[in-house]
This record gives sequence, structure tokens and C-alpha cells, in this order.
Amino acid sequence: MTRAPVTRARRRAVVLVAAVSAGVLLIVVLVAGWAGSGKSDVTEVDGSTSAVLYAAGHRPVAPGFSGTTLAGSRLSFSSYRGRVVVLNFWGSWCVPCRAEASTLAAVAALYRSSGVAFLGVDVRDTTASALAFTRTFGITYPSVTDPSSAITLDFTSVVPIAGTPTTLVIDRTGHIAGAVFGSTTYPELTTILAKVSGKAADEAVSR
Amino acid sequence: MTDVRVSETDPFESAVPERDGRRPGNPGPAGGSFGTADWLKWAWRQLTSMRIALVLLFLLALGSVPGSMLPQEGTDPAGVQQYFTSHPALAPLLNHLGLFDVFGAPWFAAIYLLLFASLVGCVVPRTFRLAGSARTLPPRAPRNLARLPASAGYATAVSPAQAAEVAARVLSSHGFRLRRPAPTVLAEPTVLAEPTVLAEPTGAPDSGSGSGPGELEGHWVSAEKGYLREVGNLLFHLALLGVLVSVALGGLFGYKADRLLVQGTSFADTQTDLDEFYPGRLVTAADLPPFTVTLNTFEASYISSGAQRGQPNSFDAQISYTASSGGPVRTDRLEVNRPLSVDGAKVYLIGHGYAPEFKVTDARGQVVFDGAQPFISGTTGNFLSQGVLKVSGAQPEQLGFSGVFVPTAVDVDGTLESVFPAADNPVVSLIAYAGNLGMNSGPSQSVYQMDTTGMKQLTAAPQLLRVGQSLKLPDGQGTVTFTGYQQWVSLAITHDPGQLPALICGMAALGGLLLSFVVRRRRVFVRASTSPEGTTVHVGGLARTDASGSFEDEFASLAAELRSAHQQAAQDQGVPPSAPAAPNRHEGE
Repeated sequence: MTRAPVTRARRRAVVLVAAVSAGVLLIVVLVAGWAGSGKSDVTEVDGSTSAVLYAAGHRPVAPGFSGTTLAGSRLSFSSYRGRVVVLNFWGSWCVPCRAEASTLAAVAALYRSSGVAFLGVDVRDTTASALAFTRTFGITYPSVTDPSSAITLDFTSVVPIAGTPTTLVIDRTGHIAGAVFGSTTYPELTTILAKVSGKAADEAVSR
Repeated sequence: MTDVRVSETDPFESAVPERDGRRPGNPGPAGGSFGTADWLKWAWRQLTSMRIALVLLFLLALGSVPGSMLPQEGTDPAGVQQYFTSHPALAPLLNHLGLFDVFGAPWFAAIYLLLFASLVGCVVPRTFRLAGSARTLPPRAPRNLARLPASAGYATAVSPAQAAEVAARVLSSHGFRLRRPAPTVLAEPTVLAEPTVLAEPTGAPDSGSGSGPGELEGHWVSAEKGYLREVGNLLFHLALLGVLVSVALGGLFGYKADRLLVQGTSFADTQTDLDEFYPGRLVTAADLPPFTVTLNTFEASYISSGAQRGQPNSFDAQISYTASSGGPVRTDRLEVNRPLSVDGAKVYLIGHGYAPEFKVTDARGQVVFDGAQPFISGTTGNFLSQGVLKVSGAQPEQLGFSGVFVPTAVDVDGTLESVFPAADNPVVSLIAYAGNLGMNSGPSQSVYQMDTTGMKQLTAAPQLLRVGQSLKLPDGQGTVTFTGYQQWVSLAITHDPGQLPALICGMAALGGLLLSFVVRRRRVFVRASTSPEGTTVHVGGLARTDASGSFEDEFASLAAELRSAHQQAAQDQGVPPSAPAAPNRHEGE
């Protein structure tokens, strides 16, 4: 049987090839899964995974936009250049947005004198309901309506906005420096703002 | 998988080593010395056997059953909650087994990956085997061709060497792969063997005719055809593998979503703007293709008379869309089963309904709602639709309305009924509530349901409103006006990157299966020897027994062609056809 060694060698090669290809496949799947969850350029704020600060150099550029405010006037994001901007995506129908609304109104008042601008993006809403919402919670900063979600869409391409509410903190150079995904809290928002604006909440109020 | 076993017992495959053959150096688990390596090899052989593959396929199907019987986390989290409430003892156990997230459960992944490994382990060796069999020459022509299932014989005037030459040419022109004696054999017919003889299995039933290495003298041609059968078989297995990969692709990178879109409004394909979103394992919010869709108009026409009255005639949704933010606006129309393809996603029209429009003012005279509120209809009732309107911005108390929209209203004994699906006589019937909607905390709420536990009913009976009519709420709580209605469509958005590959692989699998069914491996041998009449040519052939139906015809026509080629060759040589064809002694044996 001169054939046997040849056969066994080929058989071994076959098993090897199969095992290696299965192994490679497994590694590819694992690496893909790991890469999908990797976040190295982001730090968590206040122990919360939903509030993050982007490291300098890893801050995505905020897309420009313009729109109509709830009050009916035109608003362009470019007019906010050079200021720290808190951009809040919300809707009057959204329960967690109602939960955070008072916090946003309070922090906006706190940081007004520090030159931090607050701006809302009203998503999937009707103007009457949205205005009623701002009246209810005493929100005085403007909100741009986003009836076709075009603004949300543009921001989703740079930050993973998965729903309302989402709050982005944009630095003076127009880069997104921090984000809160979901209902924001006073500590989360003030921690991010302190880092980005350079003023802690207690300093902001004293000015 | 399908016919691995078959081909292993097939004489055609004898030149290729058997995969599962138990040779002395490789005993089964019952053998004496069986090390770890042997166990691994044994396990691998078991895994890649067709039986295990079929068992895995069955388990995969069986594992999917709870996925459709039990509510699943991914698609119906509320249903899971409900199941926990109604089956407090059983639910935690089922949850522990992953039965509420079957397709994400480790055991399901294990079955899937094992099946994948099984297929890989089956297909890869087969590739080598096919490559080996493609390299292996057909066996030598047996001595006695008359013993083959199909045979023929005749005399010719050309020399045996020339007869073999002509036969080779004819068979080659038919796409047969040839094997002929080594050149030395041609020169000296008495030389018995060529070096490769030693490599040939001595007792192998390679032609079923009992020929051995000692019977190789003479002029002969071996021809074989039908390798496409193996190619088809392999294609089938590879394509099956491809289908699995495609399904995995879809599961990892695809997504499904739903969106209800009121006429005159738009939506963007972002998670924020979708009603329901079922992403694949590796899909994040940023992966969604950035298209936007606007519903310009929607028209549904219905049969207005006869037995079919009220049945839908046609649906036509005129839309405009952009493939990316700020991109050019295109228009299209959606119909049932005519989806929009945009950015690799498909947008299907799957339903429609009515959204009555309301204007609500609160106790302070502020307009607190002004817009359309989609109502949902059941499957019957001519689009008699139900819904709620939650006015969370009303002060001092929040307002809520639960109501019914009736497109063509008729009063039947005090009950409101819709007699036609089109909005010929639209009315709404509302019950008003005031109090706390429970929206200031807690989980997200459905816009189609209202929790009235914190509210008091303001109107004792449902209040009927026609378009333009208002209802003044008692105690100066405000007014609600039924200002009109819009139609809405519900859209299903799917993105499945595995769909096209799965289709291609499916078609390839079918093609491969057809090839392996239609194409037969068959062999034809020609042997020319000196005889009293000059030269006698014997032709023999055999095909796979399982599909030999038309081989006899093919063989007969080949034999006839060989014969006329030989006659032609004789005439060209100027040898008169003095020896007319001998009767086909063996034909039909």
C-alpha cells in the first residue's frame, strides 16, 4: 500500500485547512463583536455610561443647520460660533424629555451669564404641543423644529443618537465635546459644562 | 452532504481515498490505542458526517420553534413582561434557558456554528477530492469490452494503431477526457506495464471488468466524461454554506423598522424617528442609511357597489425621498408589494388608516394641540378606528381624549357604525378626561394608549363631532375641535445585506443540484486488435447505474460515429472497404 502515507498526509492537510478556516471565522466574528463595542476616546461622566466626554482630538465636528424656531423665526446654527452650545433633542410627546426639562431650564439659567447658549431641536412634534411644553416647564431658550428629522439625521452621522432626549455639548470651536444619551441629570450636565466651558456650576452662578 | 456516501461506494471514486474508511492506522473509537488526537479526529469525522449535519439542521429548526411560540425580547418586550406576570414560576426558568431571546441564545449560536463547521468540514475535503479526481486519469481499457453494460464491435481496414488514433480523435471531439497507452506501448505492443501501474490499486474494481495490470497490451483508448457532476455537487455544498453566511450577514448587519407616516409629513431613517427598530447584532444608530421619505399624498380607492363593496381597489402613495441628507429630491410611488429601494434599504407599504385632526385649547385659552393624531383600525369594520389624544401641555390640568373615528358613519340603533372604508361621512366620537396623564416620569408611553387612572371623565357619554364642530369641555376646561382628517400609511423598512447573496447562493445551490442530477459520469473504452479480418474494433461503455437511462442512446450514437470514422479513415487510405462491417455482435448485451 504505497498510497497510504500520501492519503494520510492529504487527509491531515484537509483537516488542518478546515480547522484553520473555522478558527479564522471564529476570530473574525469575535473581533467584529469586540470592535463594535470598543470606545477608547470617550470617558464616562459621573459613573454613567449614557453621559460621555469626548477627548480633545476625538471630538466630532457638529454639522451646521438652520431651521424655523417654535416662535416662527429663522435660526442658523452658524450664528452661535465661538460659544459653548448645549443642543437638546426633544419632543413634547417624549416622557423622559419631560423628566429632564426642569433640569435643562435650571442649568440654562445658571450658565446664561457665562455665555453658554442652550438650543433645542424639536423632533416629531406639532408646534402647538411643543409651545405648550416650553410654557409648562418654563423653557425660555429657542427650539428649532425638525419636522423631517433632517437635523437629527445629520447629527446621527457623527454621534450615535438613538432617541430623544439626547443632549450634546458643543465647544467653542464647533466640536461635540460631550453628550448625554437619554434623560440628563443636573450632575451630568454641570460636570460636562464645567469641563467644556471652564466654569463650574457654582462659579457660573456667581458671575 | 447529499450524496457523499453514495460516491464513496461508487466505483468511479475508487482512485480517491475514502474519507471514513477504517484503516489499521486509524481505528474507530472501539479500537485499542486511542489518543487525544485520535479522539479529535474521530469527533471531527462525526461532526462532518451527513448524519450529524442533518441532526444539526433539525435542531436548528427545532430551536426556532420557541422563537415563534414565546414572546421575544427583541420584538415584543411588553409580551415578555406580560408572560413574566402571568407565569411567575415558569418564566424565570425559560428566561434562564434563553427562550425569550432564542436567536441570541448561546445554545442557538452553538447549533448554528456547529452546522457551519460541519458544512465547512464536509465541503473542504470534497474540494480536495474533486481536485484529486480531476487529476486522476481514467482507468485503462479492460481486456474484454464485451462484458461492459454497453458494447459494440466491428471490423475495419485500418491498422490497430491507426484505429486507436482515430477513436481518440472522435472521443476527444466529444469532450471526453482520454487516457492512452504510454508511447512505448504503442511502439511495442508486447510491453506489459508502464511505471504508474504500481500506483494503481491492485484489486480495485476500477472498471468492473476484472482487468489487471497484466492485460494492457494492445491499442486502446480510455475516455471519461461528466466531471461536471462533481462540480455541481460541490457547488451545491458551497452554495449551502453561502446561504448560511448570508443569513448570518443579515442577522449581524441588517435591521428592520416600522414607521407610521401621516400624509404631508416626513421622516428620516434614524433611530429617533422610527416607531419600532430591530437592529442586527452589529448595527448601531450611526449605521442606518441616511434617507428621508415624505408622504405627499395617499389615495385608496374602494369598490363602491356589488358584492365586493368596500374591498380595496388600489393603494397609491406618492412620496418624495432623498437618498442622503441634502441630496437631490426624487419622487416615486409606493404600492403594496412595490417597495422603494433606497440606500440599500427597502421601504414597503404595509398598511394605512386615518388620522383625525384636532385643535385643543386649555382652560387658559392657550392652543395646546393642533395637528393630526393617527387612529388605528381593526381588521374589520370599514376602518372604524380607535385612538387617544394626550394633551400633556394643557393647564392647569392635562387633558386626554379617547375616541373613535368613523369614515362613513351611520347610526344603527344608537350604535355608530362605518359602512364604507372611504371617508364619505367622517365623524369622531370622543370621551374627554382631565387630570394627570402620568407622563412626567416613568417609562415611554405608547401614543395609542392612555392610562386614565389619574384622570376623571369629563363627559358622561361619547360626544359626536363632525368636521368643523367643537366640543366645549365642562367647567371651562377648554374646547376640542375636530378640524379634519389625514390619511396615514405604515411603512416597513428592511435592510438585509444578506438578501442578495442568499438569493445568488440559493440559485447556485439549485443549479449545482440540477447539474449533479442531470450530468452522469460515464466511460467509453475502445480497443483495436489484429484479427483474421484485418482489425477488429471493440467499443465498450458504462455509466453510473443510477442514471443510465439515456446512456445507451449516447453510446450507440458514439459507436456509430466511431465506426463511420474508421470507414472514412480506411477510404482515405485508399483501402477498399473490402471487409464490410461485421455485425454488431455485442450490441444490446
